Amino acid sequence: MNRKRNDAIGVIITIIILVLLVFLSNLQIEKISYIENAFSKIVMPIQSGLTYIKNKFQGNNEYFANLDNLKQENNELKQRNSELEEQLRQLEMIESENKTLKEYLNLSEQYKQYTTIPAYIINKDTSNYSKIFVINVGSKNGIEKNMIVIAAEGLVGHVISVTDNTAKIQTIIDSSNVVSATIENSGDHVICRGMIENRKLKATYVSTTTTLIQGEKIYSSGMGGIYPKGIYIGTIKEIVDTKNITDRYFIVETAVDFENLETVLVIKN
Amino acid sequence: MKKGFITFILIIIFLIIYLLQSNLFSWFNLAGVKPNLFIIFIFIIGLFSGESRGITLGIILGISLDFFIGKSIGISGIMLGIIGFLGGYLDKNFSKDSRFTMIIMIIISTCLYEVGSYLFNYIVNNANIELSMFLKILVIENFFNIMITIILYPIIIKLGYKLEKTFKENKILTRYF
Repeated sequence: MNRKRNDAIGVIITIIILVLLVFLSNLQIEKISYIENAFSKIVMPIQSGLTYIKNKFQGNNEYFANLDNLKQENNELKQRNSELEEQLRQLEMIESENKTLKEYLNLSEQYKQYTTIPAYIINKDTSNYSKIFVINVGSKNGIEKNMIVIAAEGLVGHVISVTDNTAKIQTIIDSSNVVSATIENSGDHVICRGMIENRKLKATYVSTTTTLIQGEKIYSSGMGGIYPKGIYIGTIKEIVDTKNITDRYFIVETAVDFENLETVLVIKN
Repeated sequence: MKKGFITFILIIIFLIIYLLQSNLFSWFNLAGVKPNLFIIFIFIIGLFSGESRGITLGIILGISLDFFIGKSIGISGIMLGIIGFLGGYLDKNFSKDSRFTMIIMIIISTCLYEVGSYLFNYIVNNANIELSMFLKILVIENFFNIMITIILYPIIIKLGYKLEKTFKENKILTRYF
């Protein structure tokens, strides 16, 4: 009797799981973003507060240091400041000169063509299998799905869902994220997949004729439609040769340190 | 009345765990691997207050977790639901009054959760996690969870018997006599 009942429970649970599986594989997260909105409104204030407190503490470590030292340092800095201002004026002259020269050469600077929105990371993923960040800007600031996120060092990831005040970013080290990339010297295309480990990407589909050099720079190639061309990703860290040359791959060390990342820029397209 | 109050407290604990998990453990981790307090929490709910409550709270809290931070809705919902069921199921076979059996039950549920979410991530999100990396995460996360269980055992037992008293009061006599 008991056995029969257990079997029935097992069957019912299996059916429920299968139905849920079918359901969720067809479910698209952006279509139910209003529910997400409600949820994020519950947690967002607490999260922002905690992040604020954390930043405050980290910044104020040296606040109560010796005052005399500070005064002396202040004088030195004032002097240095005037020196730097002078240098800056000279540099401005050089920059304007440089600009006209560049225009002559038809060179346009890489990142200046994009308009960007600055954002803070307010939350990080709770599970070990994905690397997702939440940032403090949302659709009210003009963020849309599939926008690209960069940091000062290089590529960070793309936006996967947006609420009013927050947005979720899937980083390039996430296990389900793939970037098409080019190797700087040879111009060959590779596919970089996240390994969930910080600063590590696995690059596969390496052409058999390519010669790889450790320390070569990797840029995004613009293929695939999400990531634009020419954004810096990182350098080749380790080349792994397998028995079959078509299987060989290499590890890319990303320029961005995802553990200590705090501010990012969202590119508006 | 009392049941509603306890459920409210459970939800507050869930939010605290969520904030700990996303803020504290992002720097307090072993080799980049975090523990998973949700597994312990839902498992204990299932263990002390019965299968049905474990499943419902597991699914509801899991789905809200997916809404907070997740690529697709449902994976943690399903997995935490299963953990809640497992808690209620193991209650019949294991004693709750020993640290050792508690550790074994936590290991079982952590392994089940990890393998399940690995498979779901593979099917739903097309995630490609290397096996060596997965095993590393599994071992370290188990270790971390065990440490936390050992440290928090007195609190767990206290909370657990409060849960059992509130939700299972009528059944207790028939179970033991």
